[in-house]
Amino acid sequence: MDIELYQIISLPFMQRAFISCIALSIVLGILGTFIVPRKMAFMADGISHGSLVGVSVGILLGIFPLMLAIIAAIVMGTLVAALRSNRRITQDGLIGILLTGGMSSAIIIFSLVPGYKPEIFSYLFGSVLSTTWIEVYILLGFSIITLVLAKYLWRALILTTIHDQLGRVMNLPTTFANYFLFVFTAIALVTGVKLLGIILVSAMLIVPVLSSSLLSNSLKSSVIVTITIGLISSIIGLFVSFVADLPSGPCIALTLIGFFIASFVVSILLPNRKNY
Amino acid sequence: MTTTKFNSTDHNIIELHDVSIVRDSNQIISGASCCIPRNALTFIVGENGTGKTSMISSILGLLTVSSGTIIYNSSTDQNLIIGYVPQRFEFPEQFQLTVTEYLKYSAHISGKNIVPTLKRVDFPESHLKRRVTELSGGQMQKLLLAAELSRNPDILFLDEPLSNVDHSSEKHIIDVIMEIKNQGVTIVLISHDWQLVSSCADCVICLNKNFGCSSGTNCACKNSLSEANVELIQKTGPDPLIAHEGFCYVQNL
Repeated sequence: MDIELYQIISLPFMQRAFISCIALSIVLGILGTFIVPRKMAFMADGISHGSLVGVSVGILLGIFPLMLAIIAAIVMGTLVAALRSNRRITQDGLIGILLTGGMSSAIIIFSLVPGYKPEIFSYLFGSVLSTTWIEVYILLGFSIITLVLAKYLWRALILTTIHDQLGRVMNLPTTFANYFLFVFTAIALVTGVKLLGIILVSAMLIVPVLSSSLLSNSLKSSVIVTITIGLISSIIGLFVSFVADLPSGPCIALTLIGFFIASFVVSILLPNRKNY
Repeated sequence: MTTTKFNSTDHNIIELHDVSIVRDSNQIISGASCCIPRNALTFIVGENGTGKTSMISSILGLLTVSSGTIIYNSSTDQNLIIGYVPQRFEFPEQFQLTVTEYLKYSAHISGKNIVPTLKRVDFPESHLKRRVTELSGGQMQKLLLAAELSRNPDILFLDEPLSNVDHSSEKHIIDVIMEIKNQGVTIVLISHDWQLVSSCADCVICLNKNFGCSSGTNCACKNSLSEANVELIQKTGPDPLIAHEGFCYVQNL
């Protein structure tokens, strides 16, 4: 395709996609730093797949699908947070129920949708063309709220990740921190569905954290590297998606995996690397 | 025969009155009463499943008692500052927290205060930038202790502090604990180590579901502490004269 870089950036839908990716990289990078070490990565898959029921209802009724998906994600995130200390229900079991229940309901509802709806495909796999300015503003507003709350809850988030009871003894707002983490992660994943697709959005949460864990030696550098990898991967993936006319989700996901492989190689070649 | 130890709020920092604890529909502790003397080293001992961790959890506010009262006697107008070092502390491998960062976020210690804090527990300064997951069991215990001590606790709970520590580090940890106690911190330890109890304890709270020690001869505590100068075994409960399942309080003089 004969087009200059600046021309790509000047296209409104690409601007929306880039802004969304920047916001998502930061938000999912920060939240993922606490979610992945808790072995809750499966939650990302479960919630993104389960939120499809909100999308399907929105498409069927002609109501803003993303908003209904966010509502579905909030419900699921709240359930996961509320039942995490229940000994009879394992968390991965609960997430499996939400995933299969949400997906099954969504598929049935989609079958009720008359005619051909191409936006279903974009929700599944992502599309650079799909994001609207309203959705970008929602994402930006959500990102600001997330950053403010994360800063306020930073200490509680750290303590609940390493030892929840110790955080409670220190009178930190551990319950609020846990609900914030699960619910806001769920919302962030759903807001990323338009760009990465339901099937692959969890990669944006998980892979940068795993890559960063191979390269970083402190929490501070871990957060910075996670966000950086997410950001660069999503920008490269978007460019490739546009130039090659491919779905954006797989392009971003494969770029993330490419960074993970590179991080793994670096960690082997430089086992005594310094902090960065 | 005996006097209960509830007669002085100056003497006792924490008192349990008729406390019952139910967990997962099982009665763990029933109608137990005891107290933790101020500035003393108190051991909570007992076999597995007798409720030691549940008792500490309820004192720490992590577990709600089903009945009874826990009284916290602060010597100032402020609430008691309670320190806690749990038995199991497994840092997630993918959480890249350094020693310095742990102290910063858990105890608000940073900059020039870090080294003196770690010196207090003989933690090597060379390990400041190490990730917490790279520390040995003994180093981890010292780090956790340092963080809790920096909060200037009125009382410090240690749940089996030697369980993840190799033999060579055990004495180190014990010396640190005794030094902390000598600095005026009330310490409560859960331990299975009767030798340690005999050598270090000021007081022992024994949880034993199956004893019948009305005669004082059939008690696991007294038998195990027989080499120590055990002056007194008390049963503390609604009626101290009646043998009470699950509890006795021993003062090691």
